[in-house]
Amino acid sequence: MSSSLTGGCQCGAVRFRAERLGGASICHCRMCQKAFGGFFGPLVSGYGVVWTRGAPSYFESSNLFRRGFCQRCGTPLSYELINRRPDDAVELAIGAFDDPRVATPIAQVNLNDRLPFFDGLTVLPARRYVSPKLAEERAGLVSNQHPDHDTAEWPPAGHYEGSHA
Amino acid sequence: MPEVFTGGCQCGAVRFRVEGVVRHASICNCRMCQKALGNFIAPFVSFAGKVEWTRGRPTEFRSSQQVRRGFCNRCGTPLSYRWGDHQPSLTIGSFDHPNAILPTIELAHDNRHPVFAHYDSLVPEEQGTTDEERDILAILKSYQHPDHDTDHWLPGEGE
Repeated sequence: MSSSLTGGCQCGAVRFRAERLGGASICHCRMCQKAFGGFFGPLVSGYGVVWTRGAPSYFESSNLFRRGFCQRCGTPLSYELINRRPDDAVELAIGAFDDPRVATPIAQVNLNDRLPFFDGLTVLPARRYVSPKLAEERAGLVSNQHPDHDTAEWPPAGHYEGSHA
Repeated sequence: MPEVFTGGCQCGAVRFRVEGVVRHASICNCRMCQKALGNFIAPFVSFAGKVEWTRGRPTEFRSSQQVRRGFCNRCGTPLSYRWGDHQPSLTIGSFDHPNAILPTIELAHDNRHPVFAHYDSLVPEEQGTTDEERDILAILKSYQHPDHDTDHWLPGEGE
């Protein structure tokens, strides 16, 4: 079971494994928005977290917390107390897991900063039409993203077929 | 009527400015965007106007032959997506006022994370309800760059 709790950055230079996961949430705070470049931070408490390849670089986003990311490709990876005790959780970016479905948030926090259009994000029109030009561009796509599983060597020899690059 | 938009990374080492109208604002569920942003969805916006880097420059990872993704190498904030020589799209969360940029289309709908199925029923949780959380909030000092341009900024100065 724990073997599936793996993940890492987009390029694969930093990889992690967690023994088990705790609560998952969406954090709306302005600091998570900016750190992720997104509308919210998707975090899950990871216990027994081991960096199995490389290690994150850290930015101390406050006097108490630091945020880990890959220095080579930028993927946001973690959020934790600077003086974290060994048994404390490391909050991990859910999208960085090889299978992000291992964590589904049930809670949302820091609603004061919630963006006004958050509730409407699930009902945006979906693009289903792919133009011939876009299809042609995609056909030639060679992704440099690390595959969604651990690999013996890095950079990996094979390539993953992505849709957005 | 062209508007002026500014933004940058969390630490403030990289700042940008765009003057122009929004051309395309989207959320993308694709696996590459998920991993690049560590998130369920990636919100990107492109403009009819040139993106100026007003402080520092993003570091770019070539996520595929055609695409370069930019980020701040000091704090990690994902900032940009550049296809070939096109003007970059920018992550909406990195803008000083992300609420001014409304996404109007969803991409890679087929790869939606399961959280979208119960998005409307996420339970609001208060922060600061335990003694430990209250202790933390009492002394917390943010080192995030403020949500406006600054003449001088040293990451770690805080507001």
